[in-house]
Amino acid sequence: MAVKAAEDSRHVTAILVVHDGAIWLPEVVASLTSQKRSPDQILAVDTGSTDSSAALLKGAKIPTLTLDRESGFGDAIWAAIQTLPAPTSPENEWLWILHDDCSMHPDALKKLLEALDEKPQAIMAGPKLLGWHDKSHLLEVGVSIASDGARWTGLEQHEYDQGQHDGVRDVLAVSTAGALVRRDAFVELGGFDPNLSLFRDDVDFGWRARVAGHSVIAVSEAKGFHAQAAASERRSADVKEAFLHRPLLLDRRNAAYVLLVNSTWWMLPWVVFQLLGSATARAIGYLLAKLPGYASDELLALATLVIHPRELASARKFRKSHRLLSARVVKEFIPHRRHQIRAASERLIDSIRSTILPTVSEASTVLDPLNEDEDLLTPSTTGRWWTIFKQPKALAGFAILILIAIWSRHRYGSLVGGALVQTPDGARDLWRTYFESWHQIGIGTDQGAPAWLAVVALGSSIFFGNANLFISLLFFFAPLIFMLASFRLFSKLTSHNWLRVTASFLYAISPVAIASINSGRIGTVVTLIVLPYIGLLVRDWLTIENTSWRKVFLLTLVLSLSFMFSMQVFLYVFAATLTITIIDFIKYGNIRFFHDRLWRRLTLLVAPLLAGIPWSFSTLLDPKRLLLEPGLAIAGGGPNFALFSNPGGTGALPWWSISPISLVLLVGVFSSTRARVISYFGCGATAAAVIVGSLSISGHGNSSPVRTWTGSLIAIATICSVAAGVLILDRLREVLVVTNFHYRHILAGLLVIVTTLYSISTISWLVTAGADSPLRSTDSKVLPAFLGVEDGAKTIVLRQVKSNGVNTLQYFLARGHDVLLGEPDIAPVETLAISNAIKEIADGSGISASRELGRHGIKYVFAKSPTNKEVVRTIDGLGGFVRSSATNAGIVWKVNDALSRINFIDSTGKISEIPSTTVGTRTQINSPGTILLTDSYSRSWKVFQNGFNLERSKDANGFPQFIITEPGEISLLHDGTVRRGLLSLQFIFVVTLIVLAAPAGRRRREMSESELT
Amino acid sequence: MKFKRFLIVALSLGLLIASSNALSGSISRQQFSIGYPSVVCPATLNGLASQVSLASRNTKIHRVGSTSAKFVKSKALRIPIPTDPILVDAQGVTPIVWQSRQGSWAGGTICSNPAANQWFVGGAADITARGKLILVNSGLSESVADVYVWSGASPTTSKAISVKANSYESIGLDTLAPGESSIVIRVASRSGRLNAFVVDERGKGLRTLGGDIVSPGVAPAKEIFIPAIPLQPKVKNAPAQQLRLLAPGDADANVSVEVISGDGRFTPVGFDDITVKKGQVMNFPLSPSVTSSVYGVRITSDEPVVAGVYANVGRDFVWSSSVSALTPFTMAMTGMTPLLVFVGDNINVELELSVVGGKKVRKTIRGDDIAFWRVPGNARNLSFARVSANTYASALQASVNGFGSIPLTAGSVLTKSAIPTANIRVLNP
Repeated sequence: MAVKAAEDSRHVTAILVVHDGAIWLPEVVASLTSQKRSPDQILAVDTGSTDSSAALLKGAKIPTLTLDRESGFGDAIWAAIQTLPAPTSPENEWLWILHDDCSMHPDALKKLLEALDEKPQAIMAGPKLLGWHDKSHLLEVGVSIASDGARWTGLEQHEYDQGQHDGVRDVLAVSTAGALVRRDAFVELGGFDPNLSLFRDDVDFGWRARVAGHSVIAVSEAKGFHAQAAASERRSADVKEAFLHRPLLLDRRNAAYVLLVNSTWWMLPWVVFQLLGSATARAIGYLLAKLPGYASDELLALATLVIHPRELASARKFRKSHRLLSARVVKEFIPHRRHQIRAASERLIDSIRSTILPTVSEASTVLDPLNEDEDLLTPSTTGRWWTIFKQPKALAGFAILILIAIWSRHRYGSLVGGALVQTPDGARDLWRTYFESWHQIGIGTDQGAPAWLAVVALGSSIFFGNANLFISLLFFFAPLIFMLASFRLFSKLTSHNWLRVTASFLYAISPVAIASINSGRIGTVVTLIVLPYIGLLVRDWLTIENTSWRKVFLLTLVLSLSFMFSMQVFLYVFAATLTITIIDFIKYGNIRFFHDRLWRRLTLLVAPLLAGIPWSFSTLLDPKRLLLEPGLAIAGGGPNFALFSNPGGTGALPWWSISPISLVLLVGVFSSTRARVISYFGCGATAAAVIVGSLSISGHGNSSPVRTWTGSLIAIATICSVAAGVLILDRLREVLVVTNFHYRHILAGLLVIVTTLYSISTISWLVTAGADSPLRSTDSKVLPAFLGVEDGAKTIVLRQVKSNGVNTLQYFLARGHDVLLGEPDIAPVETLAISNAIKEIADGSGISASRELGRHGIKYVFAKSPTNKEVVRTIDGLGGFVRSSATNAGIVWKVNDALSRINFIDSTGKISEIPSTTVGTRTQINSPGTILLTDSYSRSWKVFQNGFNLERSKDANGFPQFIITEPGEISLLHDGTVRRGLLSLQFIFVVTLIVLAAPAGRRRREMSESELT
Repeated sequence: MKFKRFLIVALSLGLLIASSNALSGSISRQQFSIGYPSVVCPATLNGLASQVSLASRNTKIHRVGSTSAKFVKSKALRIPIPTDPILVDAQGVTPIVWQSRQGSWAGGTICSNPAANQWFVGGAADITARGKLILVNSGLSESVADVYVWSGASPTTSKAISVKANSYESIGLDTLAPGESSIVIRVASRSGRLNAFVVDERGKGLRTLGGDIVSPGVAPAKEIFIPAIPLQPKVKNAPAQQLRLLAPGDADANVSVEVISGDGRFTPVGFDDITVKKGQVMNFPLSPSVTSSVYGVRITSDEPVVAGVYANVGRDFVWSSSVSALTPFTMAMTGMTPLLVFVGDNINVELELSVVGGKKVRKTIRGDDIAFWRVPGNARNLSFARVSANTYASALQASVNGFGSIPLTAGSVLTKSAIPTANIRVLNP
């Protein structure tokens, strides 16, 4: 009875704000009139609707106040209040604020009033808001604001309402949709902020109410069904403050406004920082999702706010005058950062999960009515553990893991050997090498580091910067990765489980896979991983005009990765493109879809090169390097090995283990299925491998020509062969079953026998001799530690290397450390003077060798054990070399009177050393003279003195020198501006490619109602 | 259709294999630098006279110890060496050095490339010894030599001797194994450009007992040839003709000696199974009954041994050293008229002799077991153009001062060294 009495004493005025809401208005009005506790008065405010809203209101006989179209929500409420009679009992006068897109449950008002009875200190109560279409979709039960300005509901995305948030709760604010607010308090607090004409006015009002000592509650028993028309861009934001009429822009601006005007002054810098950071991050996200409009909204929102500082100042002043409590009272309602991070992570994981594992709608199966009860009564049994081996994929996975464990038994640790050199400790070193414009390798080089180094650095960064771990895991698990990657491709070609698993297993133990792992060929290993993905994307390559541009750019990205590691793939793609384009032109002529094909194919060819600049273009300028893969130049097996799809060389399968790859390609050529086209491409790759394998080229720090390694080309042939084999066998199986015995049976039998023999012989070899491969874990070093103490000191390392059974003397100029990842690719060519000096040392005629080496700043000569006694005797006998040490590691001679890296020669000819940092130096020069650098000449060497750039010239040995005319401080540096500029360009190209390849996001207005709810 | 495709595939395959293998060709994987390092001729000890026969007047020489690094032309075909050793840019023509003490003795050897290991079977360190071990460091860095000495009674000794750059050291033999009458010396170069020479000179009071240059022999082996041993009537009070043997290994050696002479091959009585104790220098009197004045010996053993033969020739004595098999090479002969002695199963040696006036004379030496040929007095350079397998040779030279044995082995050897190539791979463990 008491409740009833109280109810009677309260006067509720429902204010319905309408703006182009004809779609939802009938239902909203109906919900209003069907309230169990009807409002005492209903007043509508139409803010210049252009649809039939006004007519609908008139039809419903609701008194309507009409305002300008640009009037804000707060203006509309305030205008409505002005028309109401003065309150007789202020504490019992309530305003029920309603949106034209939010229908209320018949109990809504009643439940709100009941809750307010229980919480007399509350001046505002809001309902539980659910979706308009999906009425179980929980939208809000009270609302707050995150420190980055995000609207915080504390709910999960698409959270289903199961009553989990039910009850009456104190909140910071409630949505204005269906909010019941006490009139006197509302007026006292100044209503909604006129600067927040739309969006976030509710949070701001709640915040102000809280610091004024009032309470705001969310009442879950009261329900509203909100279409969120403005937020979901179902109608335009026409309010005056809505710059460009963009809802997101207005929302972000208002969010920032709320935080900036309500936060305490000492929190403002931190708030500004967070707003800027989060806006930038979201802008990047929108850019990646190809929504530049939203991205600009994020950034413009802050800009439109900060250009009106007075507005902020006056708003803060107004709030200060109404604040009764400390701002701390709202702290408990602001979500903790931990919760924000957790929510963001969950959203990200959900997004990834939904991308990777799309929801599969399974057709519901009807249970057999006779067995239904039986099924329910039968206790469920779990499968025995060994049944997992009945799954071909799992079986093959276990098999390959066991094979890896035995085959790679010498690879538990940091890997070195074959073409793979030592990996620096951290990703940071790799990044530094990549970004630096000058490299202390040999006599020094300004050649840019290869693009693949950045990819390895990126991969290492994922492994917490441990580059060694990344490289070791890559090589160790490479066969498993090959298998998993190729399985995806073969799954698209056949539904036969055993066939695709066997095919992927064969791919993982193909000759090229084995050789590339055993000989440390990172380029081919990555190519083998990437090729199946290229295969997946390139399936429509012949009719590429039907492929979407997004898919073309995705393929471009994958090809970019492949080209970075092996330009042989580029050569192959180039040749294939040229051939197909000519065929297309002859076949179809100069018609539209020929152009469509050409543009797409050219994109596939050129865009990856842009993603690899500057390295890709420098490689194109030196065509020899197109054939060289990352790492040391180690000889391949030559054309005859390549013919059998075996790249050969150290660590490769012996000749007698003949794989069926080439045989399958040949058979495929005579196939009548799609396998024939694939075989053409495979045969093309094999032919290219045979031709390229017959060439011998020098490079990558090796002055002697060696047979070209054709691993990547053979990898292409291998994937084509296995794919063709899958297609042939997939159909052949059906044909063989239904036909009489004929040549196909013999061919199939032959293929199975060859494949089986190959598998057995290969696995046997891998677990025995194959495990003793060049690539293995080792901690040994070439240079003794004491030669690395002096940073960058030049040491000639002489070493006897056995090549083809012959001991040969080889040398290289070390700079205080062994060769590191990426360095062979940019190692400078040998200097003639140094090579002559070494030659004279070897043949004993080098009386002036020490002088020549000294002139090049070479301080030590190190003969690595086992030493060539003749050479040691010769060096001992030659003047100018003084033995420094003779240990098990080798013999070190100090070169007499060797120049330093940076020298100052005064006017009297006296030479003094200038200590150098890794690259340049900064020092005081006390007299005129010459700065001589004993690194190779580069136009980027610069010396600055007193703000002037000194003239650079070459000395007699071709080294850079600078004439100093007056004493003063000088600064020597290698100017990396060009390098940095080109890398920036690369970054832009890569990001552009990623954006173009990424799935496009959709604007809210493009989403269906059901998606939004 | 399929047959046509098959034909195309077969043709393409054939073309591919042919073109790739044609492209591949042969790759010269290694380049070599070929040259003749300078040879070293020994220093002339006090009181001795020394001459070196050279290939031509344009042959360049350089005095070890000179501060200048330059080589100068010899301007003569036979030049004296006053004191310091000389470096000769011999260019493949092995110079011969001939040393003598007026009225006392003479001896010769070849000038040779620096060697890592040299064995000298000969010399004495007793009271009569006046001989020297000469260590020449022709390099520009300090050299260290390990000198090992074996003797008849004392245990093996070793001594590390450093020789300063561009200089030489002469060490008295009597300081190496004092009191020992029979020694064998091994000089191993630890570092540097080192040559060793041994001069065995003996005397008793004021009376000279002769001398000779002990040429380095072959390293310990199980078969050794000493081709040229002069056989002359025993001189009163002079030591007997002796075969000196050493088994430097860890086991005693059972040695058999075969005399090769114009009378054929035979093993003298008592020489069919000699036991040579390990590490002990042993002398065996050797007086074979042969009609020729020169003979050679073939020594076989079950353990590696080194050997040399001491022979009295008038007032002088000669150390005949073991030699390695004869190979084609050229030797400077100006001023020399040696008797060339060849031993072997089937001797077939083709010689080319350039004589005064530039003429060239060809001569073929054929024989079984042993063959002789005396070089005429107008000889300039002697080339062994073609030699039969397993033929060993030495030369015996007589002069007014004495007699000497010169091994016929190449001193100036063509060295073929692989040209080092730059490869960053050397910096990878």
